Amino acid sequence: MQVYLPLSVLMIRACHALQDKFQIEIMKTFFKTIGNLFKKPATIPFPAAPTYKPDDYRGLIVFDESLCIWCRRCETVCPPGAIVFSQNITDGKQTYHYSPYVCIYCQECVRTCPKQGCLIQSAEPGHPATKEHDVNNVWNKLFADSLESRVTYAAEKKKQQAAAKANPQS
Amino acid sequence: MSTQYNIPVGAQHISLLEPLHFKFTTENEKIIKTEANVGYVHRGIEQACCSKFKFRQVSFVVGRVCGLCSISHTTCYSQVAEKLLKLDIPKRAKYLRMLVIELDRIHSHLLCLSHVAENSGFEALFMKTMRHREFSMELLEAVCGNRIQYDFSIIGGVARDLRTDVAQSILDKFKIFRPQLDELVDIYKTNWSLSLKNKGIGVLSKEDAIRLNVVGPFARASGLGVDVRNETEELLPWKEVGFEIITDTAGDVHARNMVRLKEIYVSMKIIENIINGLPEGDLISDTKAFPEGEAVNRIEAPRGELFYYAKGNKTQVLERLKIKAPTFSNIPAMVETFTNNEYASVPAIIGSYDPCLSCTSR
Ligand code: SF4
Ligand code: SF4
Repeated sequence: MQVYLPLSVLMIRACHALQDKFQIEIMKTFFKTIGNLFKKPATIPFPAAPTYKPDDYRGLIVFDESLCIWCRRCETVCPPGAIVFSQNITDGKQTYHYSPYVCIYCQECVRTCPKQGCLIQSAEPGHPATKEHDVNNVWNKLFADSLESRVTYAAEKKKQQAAAKANPQS
Repeated sequence: MSTQYNIPVGAQHISLLEPLHFKFTTENEKIIKTEANVGYVHRGIEQACCSKFKFRQVSFVVGRVCGLCSISHTTCYSQVAEKLLKLDIPKRAKYLRMLVIELDRIHSHLLCLSHVAENSGFEALFMKTMRHREFSMELLEAVCGNRIQYDFSIIGGVARDLRTDVAQSILDKFKIFRPQLDELVDIYKTNWSLSLKNKGIGVLSKEDAIRLNVVGPFARASGLGVDVRNETEELLPWKEVGFEIITDTAGDVHARNMVRLKEIYVSMKIIENIINGLPEGDLISDTKAFPEGEAVNRIEAPRGELFYYAKGNKTQVLERLKIKAPTFSNIPAMVETFTNNEYASVPAIIGSYDPCLSCTSR
């Protein structure tokens, strides 16, 4: 009995101390939670507010026709095939086509272009495509047609050359 | 013998980030056997790299193997291609590659930690970690111009330079982040309710780690000091920028958390050293050569050793490209580690593996 009594007192005291500590912890957490209510939210209310965007963001590619020498190097290096040149069958003039939906903004075309400033990467982000754009079908057709137009033009030219060789007078 | 139950988890499951299938055989609540199936996201990237794309374009294709460690894939491929081209890259490019790899490691480790917290049922910690992670995404966007698919390493060097104001903003943001990280370490280390789901759970011993050939933080938490950054200085001078290896001994989920958290400190130190000692010079060295012969290359991705094999035949298109992702090496250990754990611990254990299936099955 003499042993147990002080022991139990000690235990009760310890329990009280622990309870106090818990209560302090609980109060602390409580005030922290109340405090959090008045803090600024960590999230951004997009699209009402803009998200972070660096000023040298990799965005859409801009083409300057006046500088182009029509070497088609950009078409060759572009990994996803977002640039293609079609050719007019009568006068051989090339037209640049670019799909902002296929482009991955990798900058390979800009690095490869021999004419500085002809292709530049703007900071404008690409826009999401919608169903109306029908991106794949439209672009794939344009791509295939452009390649075909070049083949046709080359064949036509060859034929003309051959004809010119056959009767040099005309 | 008590009744055994088979419980399938995945391929689509709330605690899984990516399609991964496990079949657990349980007795009461205890797992006694596990089977795994990982081939749900096969996209045929290797074949595409050897047929449709030219070797210079491949570095952009492999960057899309994984959304989290995109830079590890592009750098590893660029290095293997540089070996085939016998091309030496400028020192500045090497430093910038290391910088982005380490920034990437910070965001990837924080993502993994947040998912361990979420899968352990600690939603508030998940949000807190994700909130503190945001700065690393912004820094990556400022350095690379892209938020996710960085396209930063290209064959011969890097695509963009580090602007001085961006470098300064990295150092400034680290000053804000360091106390936040200290707070996170404190929570992950001492939180009692989290420890119930993490301490002593999913233990992998060092012997098993060696036997099962584990890589990455998974291995280092078991005391197995494997880290490519520690082994080779051949292509990227890791020791020069202050790399040190982090290991733990417990091998449980808690130890994996601790290894990842401590590695974030190391990554921050490396980045600070890189910015303070960035050598001047070109960003890219060019060559007109074509890839020839065979080469292998290894790099330490956030999840462990990433391995590339390439074979060129002096044409624009590679003959063979083989990718071995870190998660692939860890699958045998992943399957074994579940044994003798409670079924309820499965989500936390899966989170702590940090599996990346889109890397694994490509
Ligand atoms: S940025 Fe890349 S994907 Fe876009 S057009 Fe240029 S080369 Fe093609
Ligand atoms: S690489 Fe430049 S110059 Fe050549 S076709 Fe393309 S845009 Fe024109």
